[in-house]
Amino acid sequence: MAGLLLAACAPGATPSQSPQIQPTTGAGASAAAAFPVTLIDDEGTAVTIKAQPQRIASLSPANTETVFALGAGDRLVGGSDYDDYPAEAAALPDLVTFNGVVMEQLVAAAPDLVLAAGNGFNPPADIARIRELGIPVVVLYPEDVPGVLRDIELIGQAVGKGEAAEAMTSAMGERIDAISAATAAVPQPRTFYELGAEPELYGPSDDSFVADMVTLAGGEPITTGSTTAASLSLERLVTEDPEVIVLGDANYGTTAAQVAARPGWNVMTAVKSGAIRPVDDKIVTRPGPRLADGLAALTLAIHPDFVLPSEAP
Amino acid sequence: MSAGAVTEGRSAVRLGRLDTLRHRPLLVGLGALVALAMAIVAGVAFGNIAVPIGDTIGILAQHLGWPVATSWPASAETIVFDLRLPRVMTAAVVGAGLAVAGTTFQGLLRNPLADPYVLGTASGAALGAAIAVLIPVSVAWLGFGLVHLLAFSGALIAVAVVWRLARTTSLSSLTALLLTGYAVGSLLAAGLSVAMYASGAQLRQIVFYLLGGFSGASWPQLVAAAPLVVVGSVLLLLRARSLNALLLGEETAANLGLNVRRERAILLCLAALVTAAAVAVSGLIGFVGLIVPHVVRLVVGPNARLVLPLSALVGAAFLTFADLVARIPGELPVGVVTAIVGAPFFLIILRRARAGYEV
Repeated sequence: MAGLLLAACAPGATPSQSPQIQPTTGAGASAAAAFPVTLIDDEGTAVTIKAQPQRIASLSPANTETVFALGAGDRLVGGSDYDDYPAEAAALPDLVTFNGVVMEQLVAAAPDLVLAAGNGFNPPADIARIRELGIPVVVLYPEDVPGVLRDIELIGQAVGKGEAAEAMTSAMGERIDAISAATAAVPQPRTFYELGAEPELYGPSDDSFVADMVTLAGGEPITTGSTTAASLSLERLVTEDPEVIVLGDANYGTTAAQVAARPGWNVMTAVKSGAIRPVDDKIVTRPGPRLADGLAALTLAIHPDFVLPSEAP
Repeated sequence: MSAGAVTEGRSAVRLGRLDTLRHRPLLVGLGALVALAMAIVAGVAFGNIAVPIGDTIGILAQHLGWPVATSWPASAETIVFDLRLPRVMTAAVVGAGLAVAGTTFQGLLRNPLADPYVLGTASGAALGAAIAVLIPVSVAWLGFGLVHLLAFSGALIAVAVVWRLARTTSLSSLTALLLTGYAVGSLLAAGLSVAMYASGAQLRQIVFYLLGGFSGASWPQLVAAAPLVVVGSVLLLLRARSLNALLLGEETAANLGLNVRRERAILLCLAALVTAAAVAVSGLIGFVGLIVPHVVRLVVGPNARLVLPLSALVGAAFLTFADLVARIPGELPVGVVTAIVGAPFFLIILRRARAGYEV
């Protein structure tokens, strides 16, 4: 039954999810070098950047990582409270706390470009307020894996590192394609990526970024059953019967032993076979330059014996 | 508890305290004015970022038209003039509005637990804001987003529904209003829970709104909301006599020649308008509208002609000060500060209260 299901699902799902590397703008490299440049951000806002930004404010950990990876980290004047990679990012002034943008800090940093995160990560009211003050804001909100690559290129164009961004995304894209092509050829275990278990059980919603990642890593994602719900019932999880449980909440202290000891969980295949494995959630779900590393880590969490194509000499 | 007994008790207290109370209103008024001025000055001078006091004065003077040479970075000017000044003024206006609305609802409903949110305003505004967050349309009008507009409408619609439903029961009108307000509020709160559950990644935005605060304050928002709050509050101050009469009970008020039904409707409508405008700019900030009227009443007695204006001053000073405390460490929810600072202070005042205190 399981094999039949997998055979039916796997080949169809994987190719459609795999990112194609396509130049987003034909003249990307040359346009990036020349300022002023007008970009369309992920919310559809046209943002004009007059000159190469010298004082960049990043309002999310992913944006911070991208700016550093593109070699423009020395131009960052502020980051978010959650920045933890690379190490020097944590030392940046915190412009964002759990409660939103600290507007006085942001204005005092005198940025000439703000890289914000969409979909409510930075409160929309705060983003509107920054625009009112006349500071250009690019809002980034990648919805899928190809979107992450496009956003890295967008940041590259915004900070004047267009060529570096394209080199980076094409390397990332090749690595992601290679991993997903290789994982498509092996059996796809039903995989539950646990985002959290307190107070409810949180998992990826349908068509979400995490669900995409699980598919690319060679798993059949168990989702919440809707595109909006973030939680799912234990009944649903037991019915779906995961063959692998990946602990995205391992960074927050959840262990395989705890999961196995949860009441009612011992009926699941993954618990019986001990296929409960931790993963570094920050590289898997953070839409930044380490995404290919995240996919590799997730692939090894789902298929522990897998030999990653990029690691093979 | 008959209306007569309450009236007798209150007038006895009032007569007994008349002498000691004579100069208190003036002192409280002056004290509150000084406190408000200090809170405004401190609110503009201090914040998360240190701006030299000389620069702050220079920036303000320049905006007032004095020829002062610019000796400060542009960021200092933005922080002082575009961030702090509208924020401080918004906090003062909202504080005054909530305190006046709270005084009105407490007197109107003759209930010490009444606050500006008592008749479903809070749940209505919250549900409106939550719906606005869920609608994927962005509207911007005078610095207001859809969240502000729907919060404002939600608060007003909730009160209107409560008022309409309460009129059709056969209960005494105050009981009917309170119970209807509670029931409608609960229903709307359930709707809010559903909206929050369905909101997914947008949940943070709804929570931000529910926490309340002034981090989004701007000149256009202040210019749009302040007139509603100020005019509504002034109209309420002018109706202090009606509120005094209603405090004596419906029968007595009617015997004094008051059109109880009409006055009550007007007071309720004005208080709801003030609350809705305050809630639209600041989200839900608890405690101010509940506690400030009591503090003022405990000090100067129950006369609404004194309590209303003094509450406005004290509320403005208190909320401005609370907002300053909230933003120095970063951005604490201001409601947390109002409760942490206000609750112990209120308990001290309450312990010193004389017997016979009534709303």
